[in-house]
Formats: sequence, C-alpha cells, structure tokens
Amino acid sequence: MRANFIFSEVWIGLRRNLTMTIAVIVTVAIGMALLGVGLMINSLVSGMKDSWYDKVEVSVFLCKKNDPFPQCKGSGGVDAQEQAALKATIEAMPQVERVEFEDAAKAYENFKAQYADNPVMITAIQVEDMPESFRVKLKDPDTYGAVIEGLQGAPGVSNVINQKELLEKFFGLLEKLRWAALTIAITLVFAATLLIGNTVRLSAYNRRRETGIMRLVGASNLYIQLPFVMEGVIAGLIGGVIAAVLLIVSKVFLFDSVQLYLGGTAQLSWETVASSISVTMVFGVLICVFASFVTLRRYLRV
Amino acid sequence: MIHFDNVTKVYANQNRPALDHVSVDVDKGEFVFLVGPSGSGKSTFLRLILKEERPNSGAIHVAGKDLARLSNFKVPHLRRRIGCVFQDFRLLPNKNVYENVAFALEVIGKPRRFIRKVVPEVVELVGLEGKAHRMPDELSGGEQQRVAMARAFVNRPMILLADEPTGNIDPATSIGIMKVLDRINRTGTTVVMATHDAAIVDSMRKRVVELEDGKIVRDQSRGVYGQAY
Repeated sequence: MRANFIFSEVWIGLRRNLTMTIAVIVTVAIGMALLGVGLMINSLVSGMKDSWYDKVEVSVFLCKKNDPFPQCKGSGGVDAQEQAALKATIEAMPQVERVEFEDAAKAYENFKAQYADNPVMITAIQVEDMPESFRVKLKDPDTYGAVIEGLQGAPGVSNVINQKELLEKFFGLLEKLRWAALTIAITLVFAATLLIGNTVRLSAYNRRRETGIMRLVGASNLYIQLPFVMEGVIAGLIGGVIAAVLLIVSKVFLFDSVQLYLGGTAQLSWETVASSISVTMVFGVLICVFASFVTLRRYLRV
Repeated sequence: MIHFDNVTKVYANQNRPALDHVSVDVDKGEFVFLVGPSGSGKSTFLRLILKEERPNSGAIHVAGKDLARLSNFKVPHLRRRIGCVFQDFRLLPNKNVYENVAFALEVIGKPRRFIRKVVPEVVELVGLEGKAHRMPDELSGGEQQRVAMARAFVNRPMILLADEPTGNIDPATSIGIMKVLDRINRTGTTVVMATHDAAIVDSMRKRVVELEDGKIVRDQSRGVYGQAY
C-alpha cells in the first residue's frame, strides 16, 4: 500500500469537488455540534438533578398576622400550640426524613445571601416580611404528593411549596432543548450522509478512467476504494474539528454563563466536553465511512 | 491456459445468448485470433476470461483456476496475470508515457525501485524509446496503442487479451502493432486477439476461432479470416 499515492488521489478528489466538500464539512460540523450540545445538556441535566434533588425540600409556610392567604384570614398568625401540633404531624409522616424550623430571622439571612447582588430587594424587604416555615426533607424526593396533600389547608399553614416541582419545570425546559438539538442533529446527519454519498458519486464519475484501469490491471478493491473513503473521512474529520471548536465555544460562552446564573451547583466539566467531542468525532467519521462505502457499492463496480 | 467448457452467457433482458455452448482450449504460449461479425460474442468471450461477467452455465478455467470458485476477493489477483489492450487505448490523458505504464504497477503496490527498472525496458520493447516523457495527446494512434500494450505487458502477464487493438489504426501502422504483439507472444505469453481485420489475420497465419451468433463455427490452426474452403 503506497500512502503517498492514496493521499495524492484523495487530495485531487477533494479539490475537484471543492464545493461539495465544503457542503459536507459544514453539514457535518453543524450536525455534530448539535449532537454534542445534546450530549452536554444531557450530562448537565443529570448532574444538576443529582445535586439539586439531594437538597430539595418541601417548604411548609406558616400563617403570619395579616397574611393574604385565604386560610390565614381572621387568624392572628400561627400560635405556638398550632406550630407544635404541625411539627408533630409532619414528623409522624412516614416519608419524612427530618424537619427543620426556619424562623423569620433565618429566612431573612438566606434571602440576603441569595440576593446579595441586589441591594434594592434587600432594603425593600424587612425581617418581619419573611414568612416562618418548616423545611421538610423527604427520604425520597418523589413521594412529595402525599406530604403536600396532608399539609395543604392544615390549620396555621399558609402555603406548601415543593421545590422539586419548580426544578422540574426548569429541567423540563432543558430536556426540550436537548430533544430539539438531537432532532436537528439527526436531520443534519441524514443530510450529511446524502451529501457524502453525492460527493463520492461525483468523484467516482470524475475518476472512472483511473478506476477502470486500476480494475483492469488488478488493483485490489481496497486500493481502488480507499481514496474515495478517505475523501469522506477527511471531510468528516475537518467537520468534526469545527464541531469541536463550536462545542468548546458553547461551553465557555453558553453553558458556563447558564451555570453562573444558576449558582454553579453542577458545573459542566471539561471531561464531559471532551467525551462529547470524541463521541461526535467518532460518530461523524463512522457516518462518512458508511456513506462512502454504500455509495461505492453502487457506483464503483469492482 | 484458457479452457471454456460448454459455456453459455445470456445477458439480462436479452433472449438470444451472447455465447451459446462454447467449448475452447487455448494452450500456453498460443496466439489465437477471435474473429466474427459484431455481436457474435467476441467481447463477451474476453470479458468472461477476466471474470467481468459470469457465465449462466458451463465452466471456465483460466491459468489453472476455476473462475466459478474464485472468490471476488481474488479476482484482482487473476487480473494481474492477464494484460488487456482495447481499441480505444484507455490511457490517462494527464500522465505521460512513463507514468501511464508505471501506474499499472503502482496500483498493485509494486516497489518504486522495481518500477524504475522495469518500465523503461517495456517502453523500449514496444518501440517507444525516447518518448517516455511525451503526453498521450502528443502521440499518434499507433504510438498510443503501443503505450497501452506496454502497460498491459509491464507486469509480465501470462495472458494478453486484445480487443480489436488495430480498430482505430491505419493498416500500415497496424503491422507495427502486430509485430509488438508477436514479440510479446514470443516471450511465452498467451495472446488472444479479437479482430475484424482480415488482412492481419491472413498475414499472421495463426490459429483462428470464428464466432457467429455466439457459436463457434470454425476453429483452425494457421487459418485465415475468410472461409477456408
């Protein structure tokens, strides 16, 4: 096998079909980048789920004086007796792991920490405005339904909020994004396969004299087909490299800024980016090889 | 060397067979003319030897190998032992004489040193010494056919198949082509030549196999083109 012969053939082929080659590279690059984004969102979501679901709690807010909630109207806020009864009720529930009481002062502290960069909010809200609540940690975060049902409307309870539900809305959005990215990626991969097929067909036609003679003098099938397959592989590799650059850019400018906004609980690690890149690269090259071989079977009689 | 046993070939979508129960034996070192009108099955005969086509029935042995049992994987190795020359030369227009001949060795993975040694010898054998760096479009038809013969012979095949090699060449030049084919035949290479050219067949006095409508109607050693009786 003479490597320089193969590579000069590949180079000639790529140059002759320059526009088709560019089309292949662009399609592969965008398709693979979207596939990689899908993979990255996937690992981001599962990483975030792990770290968030460990921390999620059901918040049972207690009535204050002059609360606008209907079930608190008329009462002068929760009294010590009601509070103790409520605590006993919650602790008696089988799904509950532990209960903590968060008084107004502590709630205000958490609030201040959360909005540290927003002085207007901090000055507008006073300690007295913060509701008191029980923070209920469940053994299994998925069993919140019964807990909420049991506590909603109990005397002295203004509102029950399940953090998991809020998170799930957010994760739902991310998952939709992931599916959108994957759907577009699959469509583009399909388009790339057809484009590669067409490119190989064109260069098989352009080189029919050479391949005819090669067949005649007994060149092996591999020797005849390899330049065509290599054309596909090289176009796929260049597309893959561009996709890798796009993925790195999206990690730095998109994912990391989303992380910053969310408080950086589950970072998208560089290892994830690297593995996404290698998966997309391998996938891209395999598709190119596949498309080339299938086309060659049809258009290059050996 | 070439052995056809009751070979029938019918192309798809055609009723009439291209070859109809043909049995021929060609020995090592023989020179055989294959004559007959267009469509009589000459080209099919040559294509079957190369395993470019498969027979519908019958057995073909080439160089001791049963082609029916030869896997596709090994067909290239069969073709390395068979040289081919065509009416339309089939040279690569962007390569010069030397490169055209060397191409046949490059693509079967011969080492460069071997190519550098062998190609000039063959170029000389076909009578093109001093023209190794000409491009095909700078050569006459006869010279181009010599390049094609050099390419077919450079790997020292056991068999040389020639499909109307003088079809595009004037009679005077054809004599030169035939001399080269004769020279190749004298090295022990079996030559099978399909032709329409009566003058050439008559002058060479070699074995003649005549095909008509896919059947062998004549097979005589030291024959002539026309009817022998």
